[in-house]
Amino acid sequence: MFDITIKDVTFAYGANQVLNNLSLEIAAGDFVAMVGPNGAGKSTLLKMIAGLVRPDGGIVRVAGKEIVAACIAGKIGYVPQHYANNTAGFPATVEEIVALGLNSDGTKKVNRDGARHIVTHMLKLVGMEELRRRLVGELSGGQQQRVMVARALAANPGVLLLDEPTSGVDYDTGTKIYGLLGELNRNLGITIVAVSHDIEKVVRVASKVACINNGICFYGDSSEFRKNHASEPHFFSYQVK
Amino acid sequence: MEVLQYDFMQRALIAGLITAIVCPLIGIFVVVRRQAMIGDGLGHIAFAGVMGGYVLGVYPTAVAALVTMLGAGAIEFVRHRHARHADTALAIFFYTGLALAVIFSSMARVPGNGIIGVLFGSILTVTSSDIWLIAGSAIIVLAVMHYYFGRLFLMSFDEDVARVAGINTALVGTIFSMMAALVVVVGMRVVGILLVSSLMIIPVAAAHLMRRGFKATLAWSVVFSIISVLGGLILSFQLDIAPGGTIVITAVAIYLILLSGLGNAISKLLKTARAAGRSADKKNY
Repeated sequence: MFDITIKDVTFAYGANQVLNNLSLEIAAGDFVAMVGPNGAGKSTLLKMIAGLVRPDGGIVRVAGKEIVAACIAGKIGYVPQHYANNTAGFPATVEEIVALGLNSDGTKKVNRDGARHIVTHMLKLVGMEELRRRLVGELSGGQQQRVMVARALAANPGVLLLDEPTSGVDYDTGTKIYGLLGELNRNLGITIVAVSHDIEKVVRVASKVACINNGICFYGDSSEFRKNHASEPHFFSYQVK
Repeated sequence: MEVLQYDFMQRALIAGLITAIVCPLIGIFVVVRRQAMIGDGLGHIAFAGVMGGYVLGVYPTAVAALVTMLGAGAIEFVRHRHARHADTALAIFFYTGLALAVIFSSMARVPGNGIIGVLFGSILTVTSSDIWLIAGSAIIVLAVMHYYFGRLFLMSFDEDVARVAGINTALVGTIFSMMAALVVVVGMRVVGILLVSSLMIIPVAAAHLMRRGFKATLAWSVVFSIISVLGGLILSFQLDIAPGGTIVITAVAIYLILLSGLGNAISKLLKTARAAGRSADKKNY
């Protein structure tokens, strides 16, 4: 399981300074809920950890290695936002999508039986085994998110990054998805960072909460966040650091 | 069969079969990556290559292969470097290809049916040299696509996820575009540059109606493509009409038949048969 170090990171979209000297230490095995208002830079920060966006300044390290290092690639599971847009009409079954996580960079050798075993295991973990032969585009939003989590897990990642995993799904499904992520974090010990607007649900399962608003406005245990801040209507406007 | 008695028909069938296999292999990625017009665009560049070959007095198909692959690489480079203006840049590439083709055609001594053959295909005039080039190109395409299949699959599904997984998406995208360029040149002799894109797209669109997984959709695409090429070729021979157009119309007919609901019916039948097979296996076990 990987730890994540974010040190003095800055980033701007043109003249719009999104992140300003932001620093954050995420311990291996933590489940961090990244919350904050729209445009605060949460998704940008998540993409930096994933290696998709380079910071203008500062350093992002995963497992002690700077994120640009190729050796990290393949060890980070990434589930982006709005999967339903991509998958509509995409001709692939659930098991084909999950199997993509096994040898996506073409460097590993996995035999057919081994692959089937891992895919079955991953689908059991996310409760989707019965739907393995269904086309992914025919699933509901919540089911698709489960499949994407299974695909990311199939690569045996050290860290799982999720961008708004419950956007576009109903209340109950959102609760179930966060419940699943909490189970994966507890049972597999995998480090999870989830960007979410769904504060009520995510802080229930996360071990830590990071509130991002240009910088860090809160970082600590989720129990402390729930106790002291969750009900404050203007919480996000605070700038602790 | 009467059609097989003629050497030109034997060569036509070989060239057609090879084309029928490689076109959907590229086409399925073209369709899911929403690049359906790339085949047409590369066709314009290939046209310039063929005419350039006539001007230089060098084997035109080989020149077309080289020029189209270089063009494909350049297009992919622009697409990555200037993503916001990629659409306009692609259009400029394609129109440049077409303009050069027109200029070269005015400079070259093109044999009788030359330009029409390039535009609409001339499968019945395929030579042994063409067969070697088509077969060689197809082997390269098959080998490269086999090697990069998983990476292209993930890239087509989500390019960001592919990058996070460690895939060099710029490199794989460029290689894929070059393979598409080779297939355009392969298909050019069979259906012509104006119709080559149709053999990449229509069989895949038809297979898509079967609502199966990725590999199954690819397999059905190849089946429909082979039926289109062989059926179209035989039909054109019997009716004495243009083979390129007949092949494409056959593919369209297959698509329309499946669109009418037959695809769903076949798909359900196959699923039922497979489910029955699985339950029988469990009982035996």
